[in-house]
Amino acid sequence: MATRPPASPRDELTLPLLTASDVSPSLFLQLLVSGIVLGSTYALLGTSVSTIYSTTKVFHFAHAFVYTAAAYVALATASSLGLPLAVAIAAGLLVAVVLGVGIELVVYRPMRRSGADSLGIFLASLGLSIAGPNLIQIMFGPDGRGFPAGDPRLFTLGTATFTTWDVLTVVVSWALIGGVLAMRRSRWGLASIAVSANRELASAVGISPQRVHVYVFGVGSFLVGVAAVLFLLNQSATPNIGLQPVLLGFIATFLGGVGSQKGAPFAGLVLGMVVSLSGLWLAQTFQTAVIFGLLFVFLIVRPQGLFGKIAA
Amino acid sequence: MEYYADIAIQIMFLMMLALSLNLLIGYTGETSMAQAAFYGVGAYTAGLLTLPVAVAGLEVATSSGVAGGQGWGFWPAAGVAVLVSFAVASAISLPALSRVRGEYLILLTLAFQLVVTQLMGSLTSVTGGAFGLTPIPPMTLFGEMLVRPSQVAAVVGLLTVLTLLICWGLGESPFGRILKGIREHESAVRAVGKNTVVPKAVVFGIAAAIAGLAGALNASYYQVAAPQSFNLDVSILAIGVVILGGVANPLGTVVAAVLLGSLKPVLDSLVGDDAIAWRGVIYGLALVLVMRYRPQGLIPEHRGPRDLVNRFRRRPETVERPSTQAPAAAKAPSPAPTSTSGPVQETAAVLTIAGMTKSFGGVKAVKDVTFDLTRGQITALVGPNGAGKTTLFNLITNTIRADEGTVSLNGVPVDGLSITGVARRGMARSFQDGRLFERLSAIDNVAMAIPGQEGENPALLALRPFRSRTRERATRQDAADLLRFVGMNQDPHTLVSDLSYGDQKLVAIARLIATGADVLLLDEPTSGVDPSAVEHVIDVIKGLRDEGKTICLVEHSVHMVERLADRAVFLDQGQVLAQGSIHELMARRELTEIYFGA
Repeated sequence: MATRPPASPRDELTLPLLTASDVSPSLFLQLLVSGIVLGSTYALLGTSVSTIYSTTKVFHFAHAFVYTAAAYVALATASSLGLPLAVAIAAGLLVAVVLGVGIELVVYRPMRRSGADSLGIFLASLGLSIAGPNLIQIMFGPDGRGFPAGDPRLFTLGTATFTTWDVLTVVVSWALIGGVLAMRRSRWGLASIAVSANRELASAVGISPQRVHVYVFGVGSFLVGVAAVLFLLNQSATPNIGLQPVLLGFIATFLGGVGSQKGAPFAGLVLGMVVSLSGLWLAQTFQTAVIFGLLFVFLIVRPQGLFGKIAA
Repeated sequence: MEYYADIAIQIMFLMMLALSLNLLIGYTGETSMAQAAFYGVGAYTAGLLTLPVAVAGLEVATSSGVAGGQGWGFWPAAGVAVLVSFAVASAISLPALSRVRGEYLILLTLAFQLVVTQLMGSLTSVTGGAFGLTPIPPMTLFGEMLVRPSQVAAVVGLLTVLTLLICWGLGESPFGRILKGIREHESAVRAVGKNTVVPKAVVFGIAAAIAGLAGALNASYYQVAAPQSFNLDVSILAIGVVILGGVANPLGTVVAAVLLGSLKPVLDSLVGDDAIAWRGVIYGLALVLVMRYRPQGLIPEHRGPRDLVNRFRRRPETVERPSTQAPAAAKAPSPAPTSTSGPVQETAAVLTIAGMTKSFGGVKAVKDVTFDLTRGQITALVGPNGAGKTTLFNLITNTIRADEGTVSLNGVPVDGLSITGVARRGMARSFQDGRLFERLSAIDNVAMAIPGQEGENPALLALRPFRSRTRERATRQDAADLLRFVGMNQDPHTLVSDLSYGDQKLVAIARLIATGADVLLLDEPTSGVDPSAVEHVIDVIKGLRDEGKTICLVEHSVHMVERLADRAVFLDQGQVLAQGSIHELMARRELTEIYFGA
């Protein structure tokens, strides 16, 4: 394997192995800004996944399908039916919530009742994540489809540029993350913490784990729907867009520490910054490798994650 | 003819991927999302080694700009591909497997799969990018180049059969038994003195090595190694084959690989371009439906030719042997340095526990507990619920790390050892919740604990297959004898999940004895056992004592303690209040008040 990134003409960030003194301040600033935008997206995805995972312990891989479905419904509503953007976005979010909660009710809950273990539920989830996007491909074709959101305004900050959509992504992501963290103090928030800490004890004091599951699947699916819509602002959708974001959501959850609500958004932001700033030294194609490297190092150094506690 | 040979080859590649993956998912209960990545590692390794050497000025006609390869022959290249896949997989999995299980491994292998796919596509100068490495020379056999699908199918067929035999053999060996034990209760495998990390890393490596071999074959057959053949979809397809076929059953995997593998050619003629997408929908939904309604898969575990063979072989293992003498396995000298089964010395302290202290948060569960266990004596830990009896067992065996205190076994400190190390030094424990391997037979549960089995090492299995089988037969015989010894009168081949609660308790005791440990810690050995069998359990425990074992038990029934124990240690709120014979203790009013909550 090559240790040096290949020089690729397509990618202007590919300046092989820059030393710190070579790093141009303008490139650094641009990557910092991109890192904040990317990190905000990862933070939102991490919050979405950890909301579901920390309470239910379901490795909800079909979240990728929920993401894709939300994007395609929003797309179809806007471009095929020609309805206003707001309606399209609402339709996408509604489908995300209905699909996410539906999967819990129709697939996971009966499996849990018949004594399936977490591996079994994961495998069913994996099946959904395969069947769903392939069905979307059969219906809509494999090609990318763009969202008619119009062109964003361009801003400049020193030498760095960003768009309205970038601002929107950051603001919406952190507003929702803040909302979720605030909801921890609500009745439902406390109930989901209780179920996550001790399922049996929670049901003994009158909290219904079933209803809490529906709640967290609803919230988590809504958040991933928002992430899908934000994604559409900048990029076009293909049937397999869901995989990468959901993987990043899970990585943010694990790096942040399972069971810690603030861990996932924090880890997501850091992850986004690291990935973006790695562009100072590495080609874009090594981003996945950087993420894998982080995951691997954490596993060795701090397997419980940033804010996690070692399970007894 | 050649068309069908081509389809057969595709099916056999899938079979090799899934058979080896089944060792991981089905037997060990760990999921890898990176099976296709190792398939690809094998293909690219073989491809780079077999491509002709680049000669200066005379560029090799690769369509993708790769400078050239090493010009090796196919078979040495395939051998290296296997080794590389094995090494990469073991290196990646070792930290994951030693620290966490399940989800983290899924995530790590998933990320690894995506990294590999991306690098295959982007490291153009090495991998040829999206077009891949090509033209990779076809494989040769006895100097002849194999180009026609039917020729290649014969070679691949042979290797697939070999894979089947290897996977089957490993799965049914003592090594496979440990893997299944890990799947059921990893902590219980460690508690009988077996290492679990190494077997997991080895099986992960073996699964990857076989995938690497399939990759090398694939590259030479198609004469190209390109990223799309080794992406996540292929990994998931292999998982689908394992699950649909049935976990821990190679036969099921073979059937499911044929079904799913022939789906694409059929769909090709039905829906044309959408064939791959339809295949995804079909096996994705099949995966959901199988997990929901038939999680054991098409052909469940324990079904197959081997099962029939067992049915005829049972007789030698179920010889009537009514005896109160512990069978050979129980008397096997433990590896503890000073544990010779010499004359019973009433006063020798075998186990010394001093100053044991443990807090959970602000609660002191165990406070400065000090006592000895004496050879040839049964000591009972008594006290009300929450007195810290089970916690003490956990501390003694280092299942939970103590805040302070020391444990010495025959004068040697063991408090720094893992539970596996403690068991190997000659102290083993049972669990209050049994922690039996439920989807294994009674005989396998007991056989798991017998120390010194050659067949637990896959290398020895391969080097001395016949000797390993003879040893395994002896192991199973010992296990059957032990089951009889503890009075488990059901067919020893019954799955533990099908046994009554009382019989399960007996299996747990037999498993504990099978470790050959000198010091046995029994957590509520008679609770839930039906009254007629309790007498037998008492005789068994007393028999073990009379042979010089050191026994400590947690027991709630005062009556049982009176009948069994030579001595009792009274615990309350984590402290030792008194020691002595149970009669002495029960004569003290303050203790009975605590015990019965007057």
